[in-house]
Amino acid sequence: MIVAQAKPIEEILEMIDKYDKILLVGCKGCVAVCAAGGEKEVQFLASAIRTARKTQGREIEIREVTLERQCDPEYVEQIRGFAGDYQAILSIACGVGVQFMAEHYREIPALPGLNTSFMGGALEQGVWSERCQGCGNCVLHLTGGICPITRCSKSLLNGPCGGSSNGKCEVDPEVDCGWQLIIERLKALGEFESRFMEIVPIKDWSTSRDGGPRKIVREDMRQ
Amino acid sequence: MDYPPNVKLIRVPCSGRVDSVHLIKAFEEGMDGVYVAGCLEGECHFLTGNLRAKKRVEYVKGVLTTLGINPERLRMYNLSAAMGSRFVEIAREMTEMIRSLGPSPVKTGAGREFPQEQEEGEEQ
Amino acid sequence: MTGRKIGAVMVVGGGIGGVQSALDLAEAGYKVYLVESSPSIGGRMAQLDKTFPTNDCSMCILSPKLVECGRHPDIELLTYSELLGLEGEPGNFRAKVLKHARYVREDICTGCGTCQQKCPRRTASEFDGELGERKAIYVPYPQAIPNVPVIDKQICTYFLKGKCRVCEKVCPAGAIDFEQEDEELEIEVGAVILALGYETFDARLRGEYGYGRYKNVVTSLEFERILSASGPYRGEILRPSDNEHPRRIAWIQCTGSRDTSLGRGYCSSVCCMYAIKEAIIAQEHDPNLELTIFYNDIRAFGKGFEGYYESAKKAGIRFVKSIVSDVKELPRTKDLFIRYVEDGEVKEENFELVVLSVGLEPSEQTKLLAKKLGVELEPCGGFCSTPFFNPLSTTREGVYVCGVFQGPKDIPETVMQASAASAVASATISAERGTMLQQRQYLPEKQIKGEKPKIGVFVCHCGINIAAVVDVEAVRDYARTLPHVVWAEDNLFTCAQDTQERIKKVIQEEGLNRVVVAACSPRTHEPLFRQTLMEVGLNPYLFEMANIRDQCSWVHMKDKEGATQKAKDLVRMAVANAALLEPLERERLPVRKRALVVGGGLAGMTAALGFAEQGFEVFLVEREAELGGNMRHIYWTLSGEDPQAFLEEMIERVTTHPAIQVITNAEVVDHEGVQGNFSTGVMIAPTMTYRKLEHGVTVLATGGEEYKPKEYLYGEHPAVLTQMELEERIARGELDLGELRRVVMIQCVGSRTEQRPYCSRICCSVAVKNALKLKELAPDLEIHVLFRDIRTYGLLEQYYTKARERGVIFTRYIPERPPEVEAEGNRLLVKVWENTLKDDLILEADLVVLSTATLPRENEELAAMFKVQRTLEGFYLEAHMKLRPVDFSSDGIYMCGLAHSPKLMDETISQAQAAVARASTLLAKDEIEVGGVVARVEPELCAACLICVRACPYGVPYICEDGYSVIDPAKCRGCGNCAAECPQKAIQLQHYRDEQLVAKVLALTRGI
Repeated sequence: MIVAQAKPIEEILEMIDKYDKILLVGCKGCVAVCAAGGEKEVQFLASAIRTARKTQGREIEIREVTLERQCDPEYVEQIRGFAGDYQAILSIACGVGVQFMAEHYREIPALPGLNTSFMGGALEQGVWSERCQGCGNCVLHLTGGICPITRCSKSLLNGPCGGSSNGKCEVDPEVDCGWQLIIERLKALGEFESRFMEIVPIKDWSTSRDGGPRKIVREDMRQ
Repeated sequence: MDYPPNVKLIRVPCSGRVDSVHLIKAFEEGMDGVYVAGCLEGECHFLTGNLRAKKRVEYVKGVLTTLGINPERLRMYNLSAAMGSRFVEIAREMTEMIRSLGPSPVKTGAGREFPQEQEEGEEQ
Repeated sequence: MTGRKIGAVMVVGGGIGGVQSALDLAEAGYKVYLVESSPSIGGRMAQLDKTFPTNDCSMCILSPKLVECGRHPDIELLTYSELLGLEGEPGNFRAKVLKHARYVREDICTGCGTCQQKCPRRTASEFDGELGERKAIYVPYPQAIPNVPVIDKQICTYFLKGKCRVCEKVCPAGAIDFEQEDEELEIEVGAVILALGYETFDARLRGEYGYGRYKNVVTSLEFERILSASGPYRGEILRPSDNEHPRRIAWIQCTGSRDTSLGRGYCSSVCCMYAIKEAIIAQEHDPNLELTIFYNDIRAFGKGFEGYYESAKKAGIRFVKSIVSDVKELPRTKDLFIRYVEDGEVKEENFELVVLSVGLEPSEQTKLLAKKLGVELEPCGGFCSTPFFNPLSTTREGVYVCGVFQGPKDIPETVMQASAASAVASATISAERGTMLQQRQYLPEKQIKGEKPKIGVFVCHCGINIAAVVDVEAVRDYARTLPHVVWAEDNLFTCAQDTQERIKKVIQEEGLNRVVVAACSPRTHEPLFRQTLMEVGLNPYLFEMANIRDQCSWVHMKDKEGATQKAKDLVRMAVANAALLEPLERERLPVRKRALVVGGGLAGMTAALGFAEQGFEVFLVEREAELGGNMRHIYWTLSGEDPQAFLEEMIERVTTHPAIQVITNAEVVDHEGVQGNFSTGVMIAPTMTYRKLEHGVTVLATGGEEYKPKEYLYGEHPAVLTQMELEERIARGELDLGELRRVVMIQCVGSRTEQRPYCSRICCSVAVKNALKLKELAPDLEIHVLFRDIRTYGLLEQYYTKARERGVIFTRYIPERPPEVEAEGNRLLVKVWENTLKDDLILEADLVVLSTATLPRENEELAAMFKVQRTLEGFYLEAHMKLRPVDFSSDGIYMCGLAHSPKLMDETISQAQAAVARASTLLAKDEIEVGGVVARVEPELCAACLICVRACPYGVPYICEDGYSVIDPAKCRGCGNCAAECPQKAIQLQHYRDEQLVAKVLALTRGI
């Protein structure tokens, strides 16, 4: 899922400072699952904003809505009937959701309530970790199911750098060395000899961000 | 066994039922202080509810700080059903603390209770 | 009419034991008559301040049981009454009961307390150990059940002088009746349980301690009252002579215990622990107190006790091993001067307060009643005689016993025995289960969906409890102005029986669909009002309470205006919530009337037979090929029984009983379901056949085992054995006793250590037992027992005395310098530091016998499967140390035997029977109600994020095939943690929905 976290409330307050009537929109997709943008966060943020405004002696009207997803036009259109009544849309979806809001409601500013962080999963209740950078050219079959692009701080493809020490990364001693993990995994799979010695050719990054904004088209599905 | 009548209770089956939304709502509504009274640590009737409540209280305290509301206005206490005198003590302690802080800025609209730079917990 | 059996049991004694028996019996479908000689139930436990080893407030944990007992439709309380005699035969007795005149009508009295306040005559309060006062008309203590006073005829001015009758004049209910007379009742019952309890030793008999002469020498029970917040000094530690704070307090242990010269050759079992507790609590009151306990042995043998003892030592409480020779009062200061011998030296010290840790003994009335009933008593102490393998049966058939009357014991063991006695007593009349019960009558539930809220508010005066502080009429008038309120009134006592009738009438006449009562605590009274609602067809959850007594009038006495304003606020909040109340559905699930017992040792077999005798089917699953467990290796007991013969007969009964299916060679492999409807899979060797067992309750009796030590050359030298190995060798004749000259036994091997910080409880008695056996077989054999504290508690003390008389030599060692064992060829050298002589004692031994710890048998996987908790040491953890000693915190699962903690065989039998009794309260029902205050998921909103699955303390929610969270109402405990964590607000805890909690906040801040 896409993992995001709440922006500092001061930042949000500053963003909406000039408005006194806003629409706060949550998303029931990824950001609900990572506890950043679901209905509960909508209620909490709305209340926090109103509280802050009351301390300044100026009220703000907030309409609270949580959509099924903010990354599909049909859902985004569900607020069409009343969006125009508000001065701004504060979206607590991922960056996709905020942009979809901006694209669909051109006359109203769409503001981000979250910082979209990464694609990852839950390690345990309340802990999420990055797993994928969406490079568009997956190599996990070569690396024991552990992504060198994401898990190695330097995205190296042919083994660890000299900064790997005691299984930890020189960039941050809290972070496991991605290549240490890959090597251990390959050994456990009995694939170390065959895989590790193989030189991985230079990666084609054109499928990644280097090729500009990406797009996928499924002609078989297209109408 | 006497405490000031400004303390009013909202009954929940477990302090773990108390949600961060309930806490912030109470402040939005202009409560001067809120405290969550849970079982003693390690003695939660529902195993871990009081520990979850404690974490939520900590989280909301952080948010209050950023909103310019003194985080001391929100507290978590642990006590057992047998500790009546402790209950009284807490009610008094909380009341005295709120008195010294004055009314919530939510009611007065007087702006932040303390300057932005000031660190949490340095009030008085 | 012979042969007709009666489905009722009489329980004599209304202390915690009697109350537990009564509740278990009534819940299992038997009518109960609970006879108590004093004016109210509660017994000794009600007098205690805190309880060891958890420091729970005694009254707080007891009171709900008392309330339950008082309200139960199938328990008839006969307080201020005594059993005179018993005729007839088991199954069909006629009991003669004398009901003393209270001079107060129980059916009218509302318990308002006005009479007590106005009564002019005072006397010393028995309840407060005579340190406090009561009136001539009195309720012994505020939470007493029934809350109906009695007039003490001996001191009442009217009875003495013919005038006064103030109580009659002030009673608002007109309940005083001076014409009442004693009444003799004849009651038919099938069985009788004696829970007669104890009184404390009369400390005057130990004249050298000065009790009765010196004011500042008090008994331990009096000290409980001194500590208690509701006691004579309001919880301040004061000494009686001058009401000053004492600084130095001493406890003198074994006052009236372990003293054959006073005819009390038994240990009272609880005094060490209560003294430690009193010292710990005293220190909590005032950390600067200097506290000293003079002891003989510290007998911290129960579950969690050793740790408690250690914590007391760490907290700086001083323990002096010495018997105090005398106490003298210093005339001027009233301080006390104590002389004692420590390490061979005479020492002297001053204290400001001395607490005598007095022993327990059956009262004279108890002994008299026993005689009348034909129940034999032990020569030692006059406790009730019971057969070792049937510890709940008296010598009169059909009459059973539990609690201290059977032998000194603490609260959990009393509760255990009380449950157990209810099981064995009802086993004989199980065919009559349910024949004498009251049927509760309810109207069919009215549907209120779509109706606008119509709220009725009832504001209680609670006599003067509320009305003296809060302006009740003003609150009532205010309530009338609140939204949705169509009716508001005030009542003198909203909880009184006649008010219940009135509430019902108002509900029907005014068409109320929500009820608010502004009175006391929902904890004690909500069940009553919910019952009332149900009787007129309203869903019981359409009820809300505002606590304007405990949370208002009682705590704001000095601020009447503030209190009245607050009462209005609380009522407004309650009304706001009431408008949002919804009727909650409760589902009824049928109960599978079958038990599963895991473990085929003594505990498991006893439980299986117990269930079978109650008329329930049982699966008895044993991992090994044979039944019997540890008992297969026990050949004799201290009191002379033959365990092997008993075991053989028991196995025969178990294997041939038509209701018991024995499954040996079987491992439990899976488990699911909820109470009443469990299903457990077992894999049966050698064919590894899988079988699914369906049952309503589970008893885990997975046992324990002897620790095989690494210490003291065990396993290296052939002459080093454990006690169990010694017993086996003697029994099989494998020991050449003629060759032996000296045997050394070492206690606490593997117990009371850092790694295993608990006392294994049984090793002292086992050592004494085997030492006595060796002495019997070879009188000239020299036997040494090296010990830390000898813990032969209760009546076992007699055997310790006997062992010493037979010449067994007991030598104390200190844990800092434990014994050392060295090999010297075939022989062994044991070196031990003798702390009194300050020298090493060196013993040449032919045999070294190690009294090793008792460990729980491997149960980790099983515990995970059944989702039950264990202690740090791996023993099963009960739901509550004191009052639920055989229940797990998961409903429908119970424990017994060594898997709970080390214990002797008779204790295991009691506990197994207790598990049967507790489980039978569930099995006796045809269906159970589930639901009510549970979490409910709105599937539409659910994001299937798993947060609830991870947050639930009980592992209840799961994501179903359709991709949303499901919470089984039968499993949900209603804590609401999932609801608080759900990021989509898809989960709401019924009755405590977000909307409701927020409505209370809004009502508080925004007014109407």
